[in-house]
Amino acid sequence: MSEVILKAEELSKTYTLNKRKIPALSSVNLQVNKGEFIAIMGPSGSGKTTLLNVLGCLDKPTSGKMILDKVDVAKLPERELCKIRRNKIGFIFQTFNLLPYLNAAENVELPMENTKKSRSERRKRTRELLELVGLSGREEHRPQRLSAGEQQRVAIARSLANDPAMILADEPTGNLDTQNKYEIVRLLANLNIDRGTTIVMVTHDSQVASHTERVLLLQDGRITKEKQGLHLAKKNLMCPYCGGKIQPSDERCPSCRKRL
Amino acid sequence: MGVLTRTFRNISRRKMRAFLVIIALGFSMAIMISIPSGIVANQEATQRLTENFNSTISNMQEEINKTSTLIECSTSSGQGMFSSAPSGMPSGTPFRGFGQEEVFVSETVGDEIRSIDGVKDVVPFLEKSSDETTSETIDTPRGEFTITRPLYTITGVCLNSSFIDDYSILPTNITTGRNLREGDSDVLVMSSNLTDYFGLAVGGKAEINDKSFTVVGICDSTGGGFTGTRTVYMNLSQAQAITGEIGNMSRFDVYAEDISYVDGITEVIKAAYSDLRVTTYKDRLTNFENMQTMYTETLNNAQSTLGQTETVATQEIVVAVVATSLIVLFVMLYTVRERTKEIGTLKAIGFSTWNVMSQFMLEGILISLIAGVAGIAIGSIGAPFLSSLLLPHISLFGGSSSRFGSVNPGTTGSESVTAALSPQLMLLAFGVAVLLGALGSLYPAWRAARIRPAEAMRYE
Repeated sequence: MSEVILKAEELSKTYTLNKRKIPALSSVNLQVNKGEFIAIMGPSGSGKTTLLNVLGCLDKPTSGKMILDKVDVAKLPERELCKIRRNKIGFIFQTFNLLPYLNAAENVELPMENTKKSRSERRKRTRELLELVGLSGREEHRPQRLSAGEQQRVAIARSLANDPAMILADEPTGNLDTQNKYEIVRLLANLNIDRGTTIVMVTHDSQVASHTERVLLLQDGRITKEKQGLHLAKKNLMCPYCGGKIQPSDERCPSCRKRL
Repeated sequence: MGVLTRTFRNISRRKMRAFLVIIALGFSMAIMISIPSGIVANQEATQRLTENFNSTISNMQEEINKTSTLIECSTSSGQGMFSSAPSGMPSGTPFRGFGQEEVFVSETVGDEIRSIDGVKDVVPFLEKSSDETTSETIDTPRGEFTITRPLYTITGVCLNSSFIDDYSILPTNITTGRNLREGDSDVLVMSSNLTDYFGLAVGGKAEINDKSFTVVGICDSTGGGFTGTRTVYMNLSQAQAITGEIGNMSRFDVYAEDISYVDGITEVIKAAYSDLRVTTYKDRLTNFENMQTMYTETLNNAQSTLGQTETVATQEIVVAVVATSLIVLFVMLYTVRERTKEIGTLKAIGFSTWNVMSQFMLEGILISLIAGVAGIAIGSIGAPFLSSLLLPHISLFGGSSSRFGSVNPGTTGSESVTAALSPQLMLLAFGVAVLLGALGSLYPAWRAARIRPAEAMRYE
């Protein structure tokens, strides 16, 4: 049986606006196993981002229990939560959220700043991660000199900096064109397959969600449906141009040489 | 890449804003360091004024005590300015304004007075202005004006050994060379301002009214500018010869046997020679008392001015401190608002409240530190201007002090302000810069650190 990374029980989140209580999450039960690639889908206002924020310890639940890597994080104080975020969670945002005054390498190195890693260890890890996301040689480039897809790759490398137990991605392809969208999804899928990285991704794009192995449907703050994803990355893939067989790690079709 | 690098990068990201803030803060810092230096200058000027006044009063008191039996007689054109006579000079050095006719009396008058009962001795002097004149501009509280006066005064002293031994008739403040003595001929003693003017030294030759003299001594010329006395001392008979006043004198000191004779002798002289101006210790005492009252009033005014200046300075420093803190506060608040999303990102990737707070505080402190350097630069160049602009009493005070010959007229507020920009003050400015930077950015940094990450991420 797979190791449970995250277990949420009866998780609720209610916002108060002008003394009016607005429920954002209602009794959400969720379990994420190690090495899973999960998509959370739902219409706008369904509570996807709220759920991701609560799962990522960016926000506290109003009630419920949340065990992350064997630690109940629901009632931890902020100073403990920041350590959890630093060491156990990696974030990927729709708008990349790179610091514009730092170059790619510095952005990736940033989460390691408050860890025990030495300077040389941090540099080495940064180089490895940038190589992993295909950005070797672009270390010195600042975000404004990188394309949207490249910026998201830097953000992915940054999320992996402290080797987290789980990556939370909030609409990671929302700001990307089709080409870049598939490259990023493929990159995430490869991370999941090759490295066993646990990923929880919020998306409203069913094509993107089809690359995951489990899809949760959220409506009005509740998980209303759960279905198996196609997990395309693990299956025999076909080139959309020539129908030839391709591998998840391929950037170009081996048959027609078109860029995938 | 540490927090300091990020701080530098953030400041350099918005160069124009950083520049404007640094200039604004720099001016505040410059004001903060200029004002104390202005105050120090004011305090030093007051101190100098007090010391000079005390010294003058003490000299005058001593002089009055020493000359209780002295009756000064001078021709009507002479003013017998005992009160303004530089210390160390024979009392009664006259001052004549240009255009006033110089009047002389025969030495026989002296012989006649010597025969009055109770007179111990009569010492004749000849004082005559040079034909050469000089123009000087005088700065007074009422404005500047130019005055033309003789270049120097020739003073003939009777070098009779009994006079030299018994009375103080020679200049006592010889700085180089020697004084005049009995039997001296073709030699003179000059005041230092005159040797400077002519470029002469001891042993040099001076030509006065077509007669050559050797400089044997230089005496200190107390006072400068308008009140500076430029004098040439020589043998009386030679002075009479070169000025064409053979057998004449312009003033003479009458010494009574005892203080009890002074009033009687004075009455006789006044009755016999109504044209003579006669001054006794009583007149000098009255002058002294008047002078003392005036000095006291001036010192009181100076102290009061100093007090007012210090009050104004305190208020201005408080305003500068508050302004600096507010500038840092508002700039950092704006920065926090502008970078809310960045704060959210930093928190999401594991930055603690303290990490975020220290970054913003460091930015505030660094901006203030750079402003401190700018402030010291502005202050070093503009301190005299800034302090005179902000503390108008300083230059007024400097002007008022220069009205008295006893105070070095070179003591102006601006010179002292420049001198007062000490390393300690610069160090203090750095300290204040760090403190204000920390204070001003404390609240914005605290606000930044308290932003909930989820909220910050939503901020657009």
